[in-house]
Amino acid sequence: MVQRRWLESLKTWVPRWRSSVTGRADFQRNATRFVLRVLAGLGITALGFGLVIWLGTLRYYNLGYAESILPGLGQGFLVTIRLVAVVIPLGFALGFLFGWARTTRSLILRGLGAAYVEVFRGLPPIVLIFFSYLITTLAILNISKNPFIAGDVALWMGAIALSLHSGAYQTEIIRAGILSVPTGQIEAADSVGLSRWQTMFRVTLPQAFRVSLPPLGNEFASVIKDTSLLNIIGWLDLAQIGLLQVPAALKADFNLVFIIWIEIALLYFVLTFVVTKVVRFVENAYKVPGLEAAEL
Amino acid sequence: MTMVRIRGLHKSFGSLHVLRGVDLDVNRGDVLCIIGPSGSGKSTLLRCTNLLIYPDQGDIFIEDVKVNSREVRPEWVRQQIGMVFQQFNLFTHLTALRNVMLGLVRVKGMDAAAARSKAEFELERVGLAEKKDAYPAQLSGGQQQRVAIARALAMDPKVMLFDEPTSALDPEYIHEVLDVMKRLAEEGMTMMVVTHEMGFAKEVADSIIFFNQGQIVERGSPEEIFDRPGHERTKAFVGKILR
Ligand SMILES: Nc1ncnc2c1ncn2[C@@H]1O[C@H](COP(=O)(O)OP(=O)(O)OP(=O)(O)O)[C@@H](O)[C@H]1O
Ligand SMILES: [Mg+2]
Repeated sequence: MVQRRWLESLKTWVPRWRSSVTGRADFQRNATRFVLRVLAGLGITALGFGLVIWLGTLRYYNLGYAESILPGLGQGFLVTIRLVAVVIPLGFALGFLFGWARTTRSLILRGLGAAYVEVFRGLPPIVLIFFSYLITTLAILNISKNPFIAGDVALWMGAIALSLHSGAYQTEIIRAGILSVPTGQIEAADSVGLSRWQTMFRVTLPQAFRVSLPPLGNEFASVIKDTSLLNIIGWLDLAQIGLLQVPAALKADFNLVFIIWIEIALLYFVLTFVVTKVVRFVENAYKVPGLEAAEL
Repeated sequence: MTMVRIRGLHKSFGSLHVLRGVDLDVNRGDVLCIIGPSGSGKSTLLRCTNLLIYPDQGDIFIEDVKVNSREVRPEWVRQQIGMVFQQFNLFTHLTALRNVMLGLVRVKGMDAAAARSKAEFELERVGLAEKKDAYPAQLSGGQQQRVAIARALAMDPKVMLFDEPTSALDPEYIHEVLDVMKRLAEEGMTMMVVTHEMGFAKEVADSIIFFNQGQIVERGSPEEIFDRPGHERTKAFVGKILR
């Protein structure tokens, strides 16, 4: 029974995933499109790699060497994925909470939200990352004197700093979404007898997300690439691994420098592509029939 | 028996004194129509009645329970009172059926199956059973307003408030909404209706209030208000809208 309730509430959250006949057909169409889009993205990436390899077989550059750096780049790619898997959910959680805070009636919450946005949107991410790294390192060294712990924690603090930066942008995106819901909707919810929380979760947020999702996708795409800033504090991510290969590549064959960067670009592309298609999938699930002018 | 009793109601927005001492009774099963010029405070009066806005002064009783008091939850009050808006205000992200079901499941705590059959019944009552899976944006204005009425009725309210329910409708759709309201009146629903549909008021209203500048100028039967109004202001206003 408890589980049923939970399922039921999930269905109101994502309006088109509900069990009506039309809903199921729409879900299937949306899911099919998602799979096709992701396949297309993977296809484009594979094509890119194919081109690179083909040029190598034509002896435009040293293919054997280019291959030898791939495992390293793969490691970096996994690190980047790990960073993205932390930064995007954390940034979204922050954006959601502060965006909500900025639309409440409480002056304290609104002030907090405004202060958060001004600080973390106004400072360059690179400064935020450095500062959090340095402060954390100093703080931990003062307490434990163990440089290894300090290093690890400080690395992750840098990722959190980036989440805070992204969260500031997302705060404004969520706030815009909530503000786009007309007061008439709230009045209607009130007059049915819904509580303030029910109104928020059943009426306001589902409509706000419809508006917020496209710019959120934008922000996710942007922050994926911003994770490359984290290598300044020592993350061995995709971009950093690439950078480290450059001196050796220069000695072996100048053309390899291009190849390294092309491979990095393709890997960032495929990651961004998949993430934005996931957002697109959720976006379609929130679509309301008859409401969008650009529906066709 | 008195269903709604309002005493000495005052409401200001900043320096604007919108309601200036309103006293009002509506008996169970009666239909009260409220007419009056734009900006006179008719909507504010209805909104105060179901506590969408809180009055500054005065008392509101629903079946002798004082509802604008700290001991009474506003959610409970609003559950007793159905409200229909000029702009329909259907939840745009939900189908007609889900619009009606939401309050049943979340406020009344019905399980999904019971709520569904109740919602289907209410949609049937307003003649929209076959549109239950349509989203508001796929419905005409008249259909949307009927869904809104079904949504309010589903909560089994003691009183229904209508705030110019047909003013945003194309003329061709007005009658379908008025027909639903007439049937509701015949079934004995207590109703407070702000409207300028004089035909409806004449036919259905038990009494009519002429409201001006936040006060009740006069109250009477439809014949009294329309055919032999007592006040100059009423006469002028009625003359204008009947023309
Ligand atoms: N939330 C509000 N804040 C400030 N002023 C308001 C608010 N709601 C209403 N008013 C003002 O109160 C006055 C009465 O408004 P109300 O909507 O009750 O009039 P009405 O009689 O319903 O008019 P209409 O026939 O145009 O709907 C108007 O001058 C309006 O501008
Ligand atoms: Mg009004």
